[in-house]
Amino acid sequence: MRSSRISRLVVANIRRSRNHFMLASIGIVVGIATFSFFIALAQGVRAVVLGKIFPLDQLEVVPKSLDVAVGPLALGTSTFGGDVIDDAKVTQLAAIPGVAIVYPKMRLTVPSIVWGGEALLGANLRSELVADGINPALVQADVGSGLEFRDFDDPSDPANSAPERCRTDADCGEHRWCGPPAATRRTRRNDGDDTGVIPRGTPMVCRHYVPILVSENIVELYNGGLRRAHALPKLVPDSVLGLTFNLVIGASMVEASNKGYLIEEKAMLVGFSRKAISLGLTMPVGYIQRFNVDFGSPDDAQRYHSAIVMVPEKDDVAAVAKGVADLGLEVADTGAEQAALLIAIFTLIFALVSGVIVGIAAVNIMHVFFMLVYERQHEIGIMRAVGASRGDILRIILGEAALLGAMAGVVGVAIAFGSSLVFDWISANYVPDFPYKPETYFVFPWWLVASALGFAVGFCILGALLPARRAARMEPAAVLSGH
Amino acid sequence: MLCRMGGSLVWSAPPMIRVRGMRKSYRTGKLSTEVLRGIDLEIETGEFVSIIGPSGSGKSTLLHAVGGLDNDYGGSIEVDGKDLRTLSDRQLSAYRNGNVGFVFQSFYLLPHLTLIENVSLPAVFDRGDQALADGPLLDRAHEVLRLVDLEDRAQSKPTMLSGGQRQRVAIARALFNRPKLLLGDEPTGNLDSKLGAQVIELFRKLNHDSGITVLIVTHDPRVSQITDRTLRVEDGRLFEGASPASGATAPEGEADGTSSPAEIAAKPVELEEAGA
Repeated sequence: MRSSRISRLVVANIRRSRNHFMLASIGIVVGIATFSFFIALAQGVRAVVLGKIFPLDQLEVVPKSLDVAVGPLALGTSTFGGDVIDDAKVTQLAAIPGVAIVYPKMRLTVPSIVWGGEALLGANLRSELVADGINPALVQADVGSGLEFRDFDDPSDPANSAPERCRTDADCGEHRWCGPPAATRRTRRNDGDDTGVIPRGTPMVCRHYVPILVSENIVELYNGGLRRAHALPKLVPDSVLGLTFNLVIGASMVEASNKGYLIEEKAMLVGFSRKAISLGLTMPVGYIQRFNVDFGSPDDAQRYHSAIVMVPEKDDVAAVAKGVADLGLEVADTGAEQAALLIAIFTLIFALVSGVIVGIAAVNIMHVFFMLVYERQHEIGIMRAVGASRGDILRIILGEAALLGAMAGVVGVAIAFGSSLVFDWISANYVPDFPYKPETYFVFPWWLVASALGFAVGFCILGALLPARRAARMEPAAVLSGH
Repeated sequence: MLCRMGGSLVWSAPPMIRVRGMRKSYRTGKLSTEVLRGIDLEIETGEFVSIIGPSGSGKSTLLHAVGGLDNDYGGSIEVDGKDLRTLSDRQLSAYRNGNVGFVFQSFYLLPHLTLIENVSLPAVFDRGDQALADGPLLDRAHEVLRLVDLEDRAQSKPTMLSGGQRQRVAIARALFNRPKLLLGDEPTGNLDSKLGAQVIELFRKLNHDSGITVLIVTHDPRVSQITDRTLRVEDGRLFEGASPASGATAPEGEADGTSSPAEIAAKPVELEEAGA
């Protein structure tokens, strides 16, 4: 009851001195708005950078000898010997404490080309193919509705023993095409030929498209850069599901890398996955195994080139990295740590700048409270005369400061939030698309709002502490008699 | 309390206020000025006493010390059996809240609060178990405003009142917690003679009707004329009576700074005789 009455007195005092307090709190409002705005911005950027570009909760583990052996243009550094990732290593990786699951991946080591997209883009795109394979069971959640991600050409599948004959794609129905059986080798007409000739007498059968998963990075890069350079339409991830294109295995845009024969496949985009290769295509590992064996050796079917290790707790990452090193493997440098460090530094700088603003505001608060205490010394005296203790006076002054801080904090956070909406709107309407352009650059977690309010209240109380102590120590007799 | 009077023991109630050898100095830089130089005083429960004296003589200082606003002095002050110097700030605050009502020359009303809120200000700081709930608090606030004939202005702000009305509100505030002691520090100093007379009459009525002990510091000779007893502070000492010429005597024990309980208890009797 006593506390609530003192609180009412505090509210009445705030109301009475609202003009003073409004002026005094401007600094706190600006400081808290700055703090909230930049920390929310840092959180938003962090969510994009570390959530999408450099996911921190997954590590890509590679054999140490694969440092420069990336993609079909591998220079042939050793992928042999004891430092490959085989099934045994995958099991050992999965056993490292902190690891939730391991996704072994096999890289396509045959030079290949991907082309197509005319139906969607109005023109065919053509590129060297970078691809890897993954166990379909591990990525089913990422497959689009009505689509499948599995090895349709698995030779051990009885369904493939008697393929259905056809003459045109229309004979095969939805999601299938009519072409030569899987792994049919085409002969090159000349060195530059990348379509080849199907051997005479090869039957035409109904084939499933090779299902493809891609990282959302691909769409981001396309929308953010490629499409502008080539005046192509913008793509929305869901709208490109079902897109078909062609794969030519054994062909390369680097003529010297061409193989003596080609295998042509048709592929279909069936989903987006964070486990997909960042820049390239990911297909069921069976396809990659067969392509690598077809153009290489049978041993290639047993050799994984990397593994995605999921580490749900960020705190476990260091321990898992050590466990990976103990297995003779290493974590591929994705830039995540550097990005995280950079964001942390910027966050710290913004927090410090905000802290300085709020600190200066606290000094202003102190001046205002000193002035108010002086103006109200008779009131303080009379409150002491009717029974207020020194502690009561301290509580009243600090209560006013806390309430002022809370109100300034709420206004500051509201301004930060409003500014973030304006910033996002300007970005959405006036800033050209770029890779990973987010819908919002800001994240306002509960702890940010709580700490912003806490800082506002804390700094106001800090600012009012000396004036409140002076008020509490005021001798009521001296104040009331004018001594 | 048993006291010796004229060779026989008599029963006497303990005084409301007992001041013994009170000294008070103010320091300004290196200069120390002793304002009160050994004050001895007893005031009985229900007395109506005025203190007069020249400006700066220390009468307000004495009043503030008795009211627990100041406990930086020499000697001792007991009020209703409590030695004020031994009380902590919290206890002293509770003492002021529960036992003392102050009325000052400058009213000291809080301008942003209504009259109801002003008069109930003591309830904000009431630590007692008997602290009023909101309902009874309002009733009491109306009751004391009615007492000073301002109930109809309960929701007004002090700025809308005349000086006399403001002082009546200050008196209502002083009465809110039903104090045993009502202290007035020049309560008529800011009022014209008519309003001053009304305020003094209010004090007299409160003292007469409720038996509340009243101690008023004043320059106003009309006040001292209607009080039971007048004390005079001069040169840091306390004397009985309105002026040296009135025949009043300095408190007994002044010479050695002490008074025996029997002597102190006898003073009201002497005063009646002297003032008759």
